[in-house]
Amino acid sequence: FELISDEGYRFDGRKPSELRRVRCNMGVFTQADGSAYIEQGNTKVLAAIYGPHEASNNMRSRVCLDKCFINCEFSQAMFSSAERKKRSRGDRKGKDMSAHIKQTFEAAVRTQLYPRSQIDIYLQVLHSDGSLYCACVNAATLALIDAGIAMKDYVCACSASLTKETSLIDINHVEELAGCAEFSAAIMPKLDQIIYSELNGRIHQDELGQLVDAVTNGCKDIFAVIDRFEVITDNTEIAVSPRSLHS
Amino acid sequence: MAKVMLGESEKWFIIHGIQDDMRNDGRSCEDYRHIEVETGVVSNTHGSSRLRLGSSELLVGVKVELGSPDPKAPNEGLIHFHVDCSPNADPSFQGRGGEDLSANISCILTRIYCNKSSIDLNTLGIIPHKQCWVVHVDVLILECGGNLLDAVSIAVKAALHNTGVPNIQVTDGDEGTQEISLPDDPNDVKFINTVNAPVLVTISKVGSRHVVDASSEEELCCNASLVMGVTKRGRTTGMRKMGGGSLDPESIPEMIETGKNIGRQLHISLDKLLKTEQGMAEDIEKAGYL
Amino acid sequence: MSNITIRLPSTRRTQNQYETGTSYLVTPGDVITEDTDYMRGHGTYCTGDADDKLYSSVAGVVERINKLICVRALKSRYTGEVGDIVVGRVKEVQQKRWKIETNSRLDSILQLSSVNLPGGELRRRSATDELNMRSYLNEGDLISAEVPQVNVDGILSLHTRSLRYGKLSQGCLVIVSPSLIKRRKNHIHNLSCGASIILANNGYIWIYTTQHSSQTEEGDGGFIISNESIPIEDREIICRLRNCIKCLAKRSVVLYDTSILYAYEASMSYKVKQLLDDEVCDEIVNKTIYLLQQANVGNSEY
Repeated sequence: FELISDEGYRFDGRKPSELRRVRCNMGVFTQADGSAYIEQGNTKVLAAIYGPHEASNNMRSRVCLDKCFINCEFSQAMFSSAERKKRSRGDRKGKDMSAHIKQTFEAAVRTQLYPRSQIDIYLQVLHSDGSLYCACVNAATLALIDAGIAMKDYVCACSASLTKETSLIDINHVEELAGCAEFSAAIMPKLDQIIYSELNGRIHQDELGQLVDAVTNGCKDIFAVIDRFEVITDNTEIAVSPRSLHS
Repeated sequence: MAKVMLGESEKWFIIHGIQDDMRNDGRSCEDYRHIEVETGVVSNTHGSSRLRLGSSELLVGVKVELGSPDPKAPNEGLIHFHVDCSPNADPSFQGRGGEDLSANISCILTRIYCNKSSIDLNTLGIIPHKQCWVVHVDVLILECGGNLLDAVSIAVKAALHNTGVPNIQVTDGDEGTQEISLPDDPNDVKFINTVNAPVLVTISKVGSRHVVDASSEEELCCNASLVMGVTKRGRTTGMRKMGGGSLDPESIPEMIETGKNIGRQLHISLDKLLKTEQGMAEDIEKAGYL
Repeated sequence: MSNITIRLPSTRRTQNQYETGTSYLVTPGDVITEDTDYMRGHGTYCTGDADDKLYSSVAGVVERINKLICVRALKSRYTGEVGDIVVGRVKEVQQKRWKIETNSRLDSILQLSSVNLPGGELRRRSATDELNMRSYLNEGDLISAEVPQVNVDGILSLHTRSLRYGKLSQGCLVIVSPSLIKRRKNHIHNLSCGASIILANNGYIWIYTTQHSSQTEEGDGGFIISNESIPIEDREIICRLRNCIKCLAKRSVVLYDTSILYAYEASMSYKVKQLLDDEVCDEIVNKTIYLLQQANVGNSEY
């Protein structure tokens, strides 16, 4: 089973440095403070943000006096993967993913502005086809912007894999199962900083630089797509409120 | 925040409004809020639907698997319901917070569907005593805006209507055993017949009148409600009283009549929509969340 | 005879046919300016390194007032300012104070000493008063209050010392984003259509029947609570206003007494429950925007 055909195309017809189609929308829910939906190819994730608000009773022990704490929960729908898997909410994979995403956003959200508060990030995967962490991070970024929570920069995440000395960007489920090394990272594109990275599998030290570059480029591409959507939404809302608000 | 609380004066305002047949949003006691339904939105499943009722939002995915039948009913298939309350809907659903609600809803769904007429389970049998289709219906609740039971049942009926069970060939194999072969063509399916599938109608008693499709605020004002499963022809497949208050025995027949009428209308509207959707072109883009 | 319609979802609106104007939009991480003369306001930050660039931390419109630059986000939780009017819900009854939920980052506090006692007495609060707190404000009750003080940690202290504020009696609450409420001199209006409205700065809008009290102009401090039924004509006005406000909020139109009244008048040709439909909602909002723009052309000051 070849990940790259002889002509240089991948399993789903993409070139190695090509992203899947990204579509997104903000403000999907009315009750949450911020919400967003993102589709990266067939991976579909919904994010909802509640906060910043007063810490709920069962989380009072985690309140910090000088910053807010971020509470994240990741869940996958039963019908999200090809075989139906009965997943309980607190299973290890879910907790692992929640912890990674929480760590990512603690670096990006300006937590010192919201002392003693709590920000909830809830992610729901509707359809899973690889690069789950990346889609979740991108959805959560849009949802945080929708909620008006102060952040240092966008957070864009992308994954890459290495095969036959070519890096493949934005890997899907089939490519994940192929067993090559997989590298995911979340970066802040404008400030050009990596805030989270994870490597699964084994690669040679010389190949690391190539992977990191590939992922960084992938993240910047995703940022270009998200930014454009976001600004369009901004425009439509501004249009209807007369400028007299500024008086 | 998503949780709703009401002060006493607000509750009186709502209760008096219902007495006068003008609810907070102008509806009368028998009006439903805006309902939007779409089927075929999740591609990994054999059938799916998305529903929005007022501010309640949910997704239903149906998957069929091969399994062994219940020894008490060897010719029939099985149908299982599972409900998942996503924390997107309410922070209190985080971790195991939503389990009570999900258990409640899946229990009620099982109750109204497990009778001879709702779904003909004989069509889901393959080889008696050995193999049958097991239909897993998974409901994902994304937003709670009141009247979840009705919303879930309408979405489940739409998803089942959209579910295509692969056409299976049973051939005689060696030594008297039977072998099954699945078709190659993914479109070679037989759709589940939902002519008799019931929908739930929740009739809530507020003051001395009863309302259908209670919003979350109205649910806080009502102590007792009746949930009934109603089929297209107006027959009741199951009933349950919810809530801590009491119902006057004389008012129950009236509530049941209302429930049956409303149920019939829901079926008519839903069937009309499903027919319209089927008639539309195959490649129309589903709206989904975009 | 009820009317139940189930329909296919309409595609969500992403395009808008109005001009976007020349507002300066930024997103998190954008450099607003490299000039060090400016003071940083809300929604901005510096990295504190060698470069003195001013970055934006939210997505919104840049506002420049003399030397102060801030970025106002389109949607956010309420940040209190002194002098604001808020409508809040009692979350908890504690010793000598109530915790009020006001859609802000932390819950606000209403001290026992900051409320008016029944009868308008001025005296020190005794232990009996503490025990009777629940008889005045219980969990779940709504109050209107003013913000005299914002504490260092961001918690708002509220007070209801004037008769204009206090516990709210029968009416309807609509919750919108705080950024849609225009800051004006007066937030409590007796509308000409027959109902009264409180447009609180924290996004909670309270609609109620106009009090025809022969007492003071201001109000009764929330002590006279009537739980009697309201006449149906008044109720219809309140429900219609509620639906109009929800339509305007859905399309992010700024809410103040004029815009709400325009929407109300535009909605008179429909029945109250028809205002829940998307098409009717769009039509009313378009008419309101048109009327507002006409009024803008006429005068320059609101």
